Amino acid sequence: MDYDYDNVEILFVEDSIDDAALTIRALNKSGSTNKLYHVKDGAAALDFIYCRGDFENRKPKEFPKLILLDLKMPKISGIQVLEKLKSDPETKSIPIVMLTSSNEGPDIEKCFSLGVNSYIVKPVDSDNFFKAIKEIGLYWMVTSQSPN
Amino acid sequence: MKKEDSAKLIIANKEGASQFNENETLAAELVIANKELDFRNEEKENRAAELIIANKELIFQNEEKENRAAELIIANKELAFQNEERAHRAAELIIANKELIFQNEEKEKRASELIIANKELAFQNEEKGKRAEELNIANKELAFQNREKEKRANELLIANSALKVAQDNIRKLNDELEQKVIERTAQLEAVNKELESFSYSVSHDLRAPIRAINGYTKIIAEDYGDKFDADGIKILQSVMNNSKKMGELIDDLLAFSKLGRKSVAFADIDMVELVATVREELLFEGDGNIPDFKIAALPAAKGDKSLIKQVWVNLISNAIKYASHKKNTTITIDSYTKDKLNVYYVKDEGAGFDMQYYDKLFGVFQRLHSQEEFEGTGIGLAIVQKIINKHNGTVWAESTLNIGSCFYFSLNHTTN
Repeated sequence: MDYDYDNVEILFVEDSIDDAALTIRALNKSGSTNKLYHVKDGAAALDFIYCRGDFENRKPKEFPKLILLDLKMPKISGIQVLEKLKSDPETKSIPIVMLTSSNEGPDIEKCFSLGVNSYIVKPVDSDNFFKAIKEIGLYWMVTSQSPN
Repeated sequence: MKKEDSAKLIIANKEGASQFNENETLAAELVIANKELDFRNEEKENRAAELIIANKELIFQNEEKENRAAELIIANKELAFQNEERAHRAAELIIANKELIFQNEEKEKRASELIIANKELAFQNEEKGKRAEELNIANKELAFQNREKEKRANELLIANSALKVAQDNIRKLNDELEQKVIERTAQLEAVNKELESFSYSVSHDLRAPIRAINGYTKIIAEDYGDKFDADGIKILQSVMNNSKKMGELIDDLLAFSKLGRKSVAFADIDMVELVATVREELLFEGDGNIPDFKIAALPAAKGDKSLIKQVWVNLISNAIKYASHKKNTTITIDSYTKDKLNVYYVKDEGAGFDMQYYDKLFGVFQRLHSQEEFEGTGIGLAIVQKIINKHNGTVWAESTLNIGSCFYFSLNHTTN
């Protein structure tokens, strides 16, 4: 949390320290130089976006280029964060990629109905995991064009 | 006059008195004669009085007759008037008579018509009499049948009440059964919910630590690989392989349990197109030894396309896998019709299996080959069986060790 939270390009919301460490390593290894900020639950993610609580000094309306969002988290779940951000005209154009262990149908359907941009089931196999994270970074940070 | 005669007589008498004695006889005679005369006079006076009375009577009668004549004149006039009236009336009666004659004629005509109609009615009456007779007979028959039916109705009534008792019992049992079904359904739903949350936990909570083990082992191998000898690297590799394998097992188990909860969406399936797609996808993924395919024109079927695709994927990938150690083998995909069912089959010339272990073939995580020979978790055929069962179809197999296997499944070609 001693990160500098201005000019963040990727907001990474993940409660699992292991998954966070592996994901950050994968992004670093893939050569991503984008500034990443990691929060550990949905409440912190919303505080970050809306510059509240710990983030009240953050520059308002400076949104990240991508949010990597875990589905199952304490306090406010990934689905609740997704629902909030996608229903707010200010934030709904921020690309959100769900990163989750769940390959259960209803979750996937729910996320797409709420307007998620992509839904990735984290592979158990580390090779595939690194590959998936690398592809996400590349696609959303380089390939995909945002509205502005 | 008579009085003067009398006086003369009296003087004669007095002159004769002197001669009294002599004359006394004469006098007595005279007195008698006188008295006679007196009597006659009286009689005549009486007669005159009677005549006067008679005269008065006649006058009265005359008056009466005059009155009567006047009355007769009046009566006469009245009669003349009545006569005239009668003449009028007679003329009217003549007219009325003519009218009556005409009416009479009409009535005669009508009467003759009525006679004809009467005859007709009489005939009809007779017919009706006959019909009535017939009806009478029929009526008796009906009455008999009615009695029979009444008897039958009574019997039915008795049977009915028996049935009602039975029905009540059945209803009661049904209600109890329904209650039980409701209870069981609630239990099943609860269990299902539990199972769902269990698979969710398995999916999420078990996968995460395995991913961490796999990921960290990889980091050790990558960042600290130079600190291990060959055996150490091999062990790290085993940790990664096993964690990966465990992940696959969890994924397969979840896929299998998810299948049980999935409802089947029936639609027409173009099997030729579906098999071609599956073949392409498998050959694109696969590497190395690719067998020949002999695919016949397969008939369409009714089923859930995504599920039936999974069946083809599992069966064809098995056929490829178990023939991968042999050169120039052929996979035959064909079908036939039996009892309104389409039977599809995939025949390979691969390793085959021993039919004595057939009962384990479709079991979850059951394998008839070692991991070293052929990789796999043993979920594929269990999934195939579950999908086909969900379609009310059957799956079975024939095999000869080292010669090859043939897997069959049947599907309805019309809607269930």
